[in-house]
Amino acid sequence: MGIPSAAVEKAWKPVAELVEASSVTPKFGPFDKLRVQILRIFNSLGRVQSVLIVLLLLFLFPVPGSGQVRPVEGIRDNTPQIHALINGRIVQGPDRIIEKGVVVLRDGIIEAVGSKVELPADARIWDYSGLTLYPGFIESYSQAGLQKDAVKQGNDSVHWNQFVTPENNALKSLKIETKDVEKLRGLGFTSVVVVPVDGVFCGSSALLSLDGRSAKQSVLQTEVAQHILFKRPQTKVRSYPNSQMGVIALIRQTFLDANWYGKAHAAYAESPGVQKRPEINLSLKILASALQKKHAFTFKSDDDLNTLRSLKIIKEFGLSAWLIGSGHEYRQISRLKNTQVSIIIPLNFPEPPPVESPEDAIKVSQQQLNHWDAAPANAYHLHKAGIPFAFTSAELKNPADFRKNVIKTIQHGLPQNAALAALTMVPATILGMDEKLGSIDEGKLAHFLVTDGDIFKTKTAILSAWIDGNHFQISRKPEIDVRGNWAVEFAFPEKINSMKLKLSGEKKVTGVLTHDSLKIKLKKVVLDYQRLMMLVPGDSLGYQGIIRLSGKVEPGKLAGRGSLPDGQSFAWSASRQPESNTDTVNVEKKPNTSPPKNNLQIPIDAYSYHSTPEKMAVIHIKKGTIWTSGPQGILQNADVLIIDGKISRIGENLKTPAGAHVIDATGKHVTPGLIDAHSHAGISGGVNEGTQAVTAEVRIADVINPNDIAFYRQLAGGVTVINQLHGSANPIGGQNSVIKLRWGSDADGLRIKDAIEGIKFALGENVKQSNWGDKFTTRYPQTRMGVEQLIFDRFKAAQDYDLEWKTYNALIKKPGVIPPRRDLELDALVEILNGRRLVHSHSYRQDEILMLLRVAEYFGFTIGTFQHVLEGYKVAEAMAKHGAGASTFSDWWAYKFEVIDAIPFNGAIMHNAGVNVSFNSDSNELSRRMNLEAAKAVKYGGVSETDALNFVTINPARQLRIAHRVGSLEKGKDGDFAVWSGHPLSTLSHCEQTWIEGRKFFDTAKDREMQAAVKKERARLIQKILAADIEKAKN
Amino acid sequence: MDRFTNIKCMLILLCVSGLSLIFQNNLVASDEVPGKKQKHPIALVGGTIHPVSGETIENGTLLFVDGKITAIGASIVFPDSTEKIDVAGKHLYPGLIAANTRLGLVEVAAVRSTRDYAEVGEIKPNVRAESAINPDSELLPVTRANGITLAHTIPMGGLISGTSAVIELDGWTWEDLTLRGPIGLYVNWPNMGSNPGAAGSKKEKELLKKRDADILKIRTAFAQARAYLKAKDAEAGEKVPYHQTDIRWEAMAPVLNKEIPVLLRVSGLKEIQAAVDWAVSEDVYAVLMTGPDVRFATELLKEKNIPVIYMGTLTLPSRRWEPYDTPFTVPLELHRAGVKFCISGPGSPFDAAHERNLPYQAAMAAAFGLPKEEALKSLTLYPAQILGIADRVGSLEIGKDATLIVTDGDPLEIRTQVEREFIRGRKVQLSNRHTRLNEKYKTKYARMK
Repeated sequence: MGIPSAAVEKAWKPVAELVEASSVTPKFGPFDKLRVQILRIFNSLGRVQSVLIVLLLLFLFPVPGSGQVRPVEGIRDNTPQIHALINGRIVQGPDRIIEKGVVVLRDGIIEAVGSKVELPADARIWDYSGLTLYPGFIESYSQAGLQKDAVKQGNDSVHWNQFVTPENNALKSLKIETKDVEKLRGLGFTSVVVVPVDGVFCGSSALLSLDGRSAKQSVLQTEVAQHILFKRPQTKVRSYPNSQMGVIALIRQTFLDANWYGKAHAAYAESPGVQKRPEINLSLKILASALQKKHAFTFKSDDDLNTLRSLKIIKEFGLSAWLIGSGHEYRQISRLKNTQVSIIIPLNFPEPPPVESPEDAIKVSQQQLNHWDAAPANAYHLHKAGIPFAFTSAELKNPADFRKNVIKTIQHGLPQNAALAALTMVPATILGMDEKLGSIDEGKLAHFLVTDGDIFKTKTAILSAWIDGNHFQISRKPEIDVRGNWAVEFAFPEKINSMKLKLSGEKKVTGVLTHDSLKIKLKKVVLDYQRLMMLVPGDSLGYQGIIRLSGKVEPGKLAGRGSLPDGQSFAWSASRQPESNTDTVNVEKKPNTSPPKNNLQIPIDAYSYHSTPEKMAVIHIKKGTIWTSGPQGILQNADVLIIDGKISRIGENLKTPAGAHVIDATGKHVTPGLIDAHSHAGISGGVNEGTQAVTAEVRIADVINPNDIAFYRQLAGGVTVINQLHGSANPIGGQNSVIKLRWGSDADGLRIKDAIEGIKFALGENVKQSNWGDKFTTRYPQTRMGVEQLIFDRFKAAQDYDLEWKTYNALIKKPGVIPPRRDLELDALVEILNGRRLVHSHSYRQDEILMLLRVAEYFGFTIGTFQHVLEGYKVAEAMAKHGAGASTFSDWWAYKFEVIDAIPFNGAIMHNAGVNVSFNSDSNELSRRMNLEAAKAVKYGGVSETDALNFVTINPARQLRIAHRVGSLEKGKDGDFAVWSGHPLSTLSHCEQTWIEGRKFFDTAKDREMQAAVKKERARLIQKILAADIEKAKN
Repeated sequence: MDRFTNIKCMLILLCVSGLSLIFQNNLVASDEVPGKKQKHPIALVGGTIHPVSGETIENGTLLFVDGKITAIGASIVFPDSTEKIDVAGKHLYPGLIAANTRLGLVEVAAVRSTRDYAEVGEIKPNVRAESAINPDSELLPVTRANGITLAHTIPMGGLISGTSAVIELDGWTWEDLTLRGPIGLYVNWPNMGSNPGAAGSKKEKELLKKRDADILKIRTAFAQARAYLKAKDAEAGEKVPYHQTDIRWEAMAPVLNKEIPVLLRVSGLKEIQAAVDWAVSEDVYAVLMTGPDVRFATELLKEKNIPVIYMGTLTLPSRRWEPYDTPFTVPLELHRAGVKFCISGPGSPFDAAHERNLPYQAAMAAAFGLPKEEALKSLTLYPAQILGIADRVGSLEIGKDATLIVTDGDPLEIRTQVEREFIRGRKVQLSNRHTRLNEKYKTKYARMK
């Protein structure tokens, strides 16, 4: 067919050259393949089409100088972009090294690379003898050049929540400055992903070449990913969400909304005439499209627990995603390994904690000590587990530490290859740019670094970077290392004319001249641009004043002129002397030969079990006083058999089965594991989502913190089950979580899977913001009247919502019908209405207690518990009749106005009126002595001791609907119990052992061992820090 | 102003201040009537007497006359008209002393109008707790119902908060209530800084700057008080002019004259070290009010002979790495080290309503190794000694106040009931707001049957 136009010929001529001229086996890069393909198509087309194709090709492969929209100012730059870099050592990628080779670049693309490559006739030649080429580093998480004013304003076609801004686009707010570019380039980066960081859904990122041109020219990829900040937004004004669980709820609801949005609009498009038009929402539109097209999402977390939580969201919505880590990943290696999601990790190793004075050291946490020790090995552990990871310089206080810290990870066991991969190929792969970036290969973009040696040595300098075929100098050729021993010759008149010179030092060079016993310390040594300047005190040489020396530095040789104090000039020279063995100048630290062990388990801190306590197949408790909290009451001198974690028999003189673990309970008391029906222990990132009056969508289960030492301390008080409740800042709060204190388990391992779910409600002063200060006077409700109406209206809304779904689900033909929007808040309320979710309502005054009873009765459900319920004694008959439980404080009162009528007889009166009563803690401190709280029911109101103990065992178990599992020592129930040194209601007794399902989670003897271990480990780490400090000071 | 106008004014006032005033009126006056002054000798016969200062006496008798204990023992001669009370099977203990409270200075901690414990300003040695004690506070009968007969009530806030007083939890007026005042001058020692992680940060630098400024303020106050008192002393001499009064420095005279101690509120070890150095340099008596970090400073305190009010066994360890039972075992460590100490509650305004649980602070120490006798002393004799009131109270000894309780068991046990209580010989009512409401609603349910 026809001959292509000149422009086209020029455009694809390099392809032909590449194929023909290269002496190595031709390899086609993606562009080249495309070009050849297009050429074939072109050859088979007619003239009209070919003109179109010409236009297309012009668009795809701009010829230098063409395709620029902005008018040219001044004279065009048409320097050919063809370079041949010869004689360099080429590290193409991990484990792929050409000791002496050639790289040919044409128009920003690597045309050839190999040890034998014919040099193109039109190439500019660069001699890289003695230098090394590395693929350019990829910074996959940066805010470089982002302008801060990217918050949406005045646009009401976007998401209602100010933190949901997927429509933000890095490119829109990008104004990349030379200094940003140079800073990153100086660290070895040749490309960067610029990520917006405002809000929760922050928007989409862009990948740019760091060639310092405008974003228009240097963008390699737009909308790389949608970025999610997995943490509480920091704002001055209280707004939703202000808790971690609120953030997770918002993310979850937003993904649901985006999916719904897509479906709703599709359905509307199908049959527009018959239904209401769904809203137009730019934010949801963008998210819906991202979800549909399986675009990538990233989740950035500040700690390892949030990283795990974000993985759950990724799984829940089947997202294609990667993570931005925190540097704490080593704590969760096994859990990260299972998911194999890629992770970008910062290298922000902590400063050594202040341990110099014992007084300060007390305040340093074990976690701080551990993290200081373990952080540099984070990458090693990820590598060992085969989890793909890349490094980012983000989070570094001083970005200049970046390469230093990469080297530190190598010293802590990471193989060099893996480090290189984490800087190049891995991020390229994560970004889906592995065909263009990440290694020095034909057809890839010309992104690489030129160094004067091994890039993983601190002394090595990055001399220049090639980015998209452009050359950037990064550092000058470094000064010749003058440190070492020299023999100096002075052409002094009459005086000593030969001396020895020793130059040493790390950052600053210092020098000493010696001659026999004479020793002169140089006043100053300066090295600049291969010239050396030294100041020598002249006194001991017989000159009053300072002698100045300056000269040129060459390898092994110094030579120049000196100047005596009187101005007289003389010549001097020096030659390098062999190093003596004792001189240890410039020795790199050898990589650690024994890589660090990762022996950190959950909980990651002091008092950690390095594995879950062993499960005893058979346990025989012998001859104890057994408080069963069941029909058997209190049994003296009795035995309990626990087999496979379940109670198998209770009786006297039971036979010990073979291999049983025997607990001699002679003189001891045994009770069921205690249950605290009101706790806020182990909740990360805020107990209250207190912004909105109704937050039924937030879930404590999303934010369980299995590291909370409160759990262990509660175990030490015989507690085995707690009800983790949302706070009382709003009338309808978040969903609760009932857990067993299986210390050492992760969040999921703590949960009681078959416990009916619940939710926190609250009434009275807290929800009407009575004690919040003068600024809080506008949120509905501000009175108890409003509290009733709000709750009533929400339940009505839930009924309407339920009806909407039922109607939709009953449709035979759904396509073309807009589905109802799934609302997680109303879902929870519908569950309450259907009896599948228990209400635990914070309450004080009798009026509000009665009010909620009546609301519940109107809607036909039963209240699970009233919490606190300090005026429950005034309406006990109504509560009993309704069947609501009462989980109260034993004796708190008078801390605010609504509890002025609280009395310690409350529990006894309600109990006597037939209400199921428990005593709770609402406090991590009180929760350690629930047995003593129970004793107060004996003191105030004369409840029997058996019934009093039930206030913290079987009664709360019934309230939480887990009495089929726990709360009493009965055949078939879980073997959860505590062993007490004496009467459990005595203040002089203490808990000795706490067991859950055959595993011993607390034991006083074991605790003493752990105390000693903590002490020892602290001492070890403190010594290590002190030693490192001294080492650092030396340097 | 005639009577009618008066009433009219009151009505207007009620309308203006609205509901809150009405509510407060409801809660200001407790219904318990203070005990009558002891008119005739009273003998408690046949109980187990725990003098605390000496051996327990089984089946003993305790006699008190005009509010003072006059005899203890097995065989006692009763004066004429002695009222004999059979306490067979019961136990007699000195009344318990709450050594760190805001009782009387607060009613409902969340309600501002009921808070009187913190005067404005940083240096206010002149304010004194006793003059603002509300004798009709509902909190007092609730507290004393569990055997706490005396409370050391301390003003708070600022650097030098004012002087404290020991009050009896029974009486018509604050003057009746006050056993002794001033007891000590409350000084809040500043946080010495160096929080790990914050070291070198802007926040930490600001904290250290404030610390230095605060310490200088405390030092300056003491120096100025000395200068003032010196100048006033000099007035006796010739040609020395009169100096106008400064009530702040006047109030500090008993401290500088070593008549009363400085009550040094310190949080951690560094604060303890700094505060002790300061007290030694000022040559004043010091009592440390502090928490579990005191265990690191026992040698220093023993050497300087500085007693400790240990504020709260029932608290959480300050740091995650510390043993779970750290706060429980500190009293044992103090005891072993020979440091004089007593046990109190944490003493926040919110704790005032819950001061009745004081005995269990000591009980927990006993459960974790402190000898039980020591635990009991840490609520009676030791606080009396540390607060300088052991001449009057703290043990059952002849000559001391008949301020005591009769129980059905060990007061360290929750299940024990306090059955009788005497404050300086007065029979004290054990009913309170709680028992009244209990009775009221028992009636409700009785009627429903």
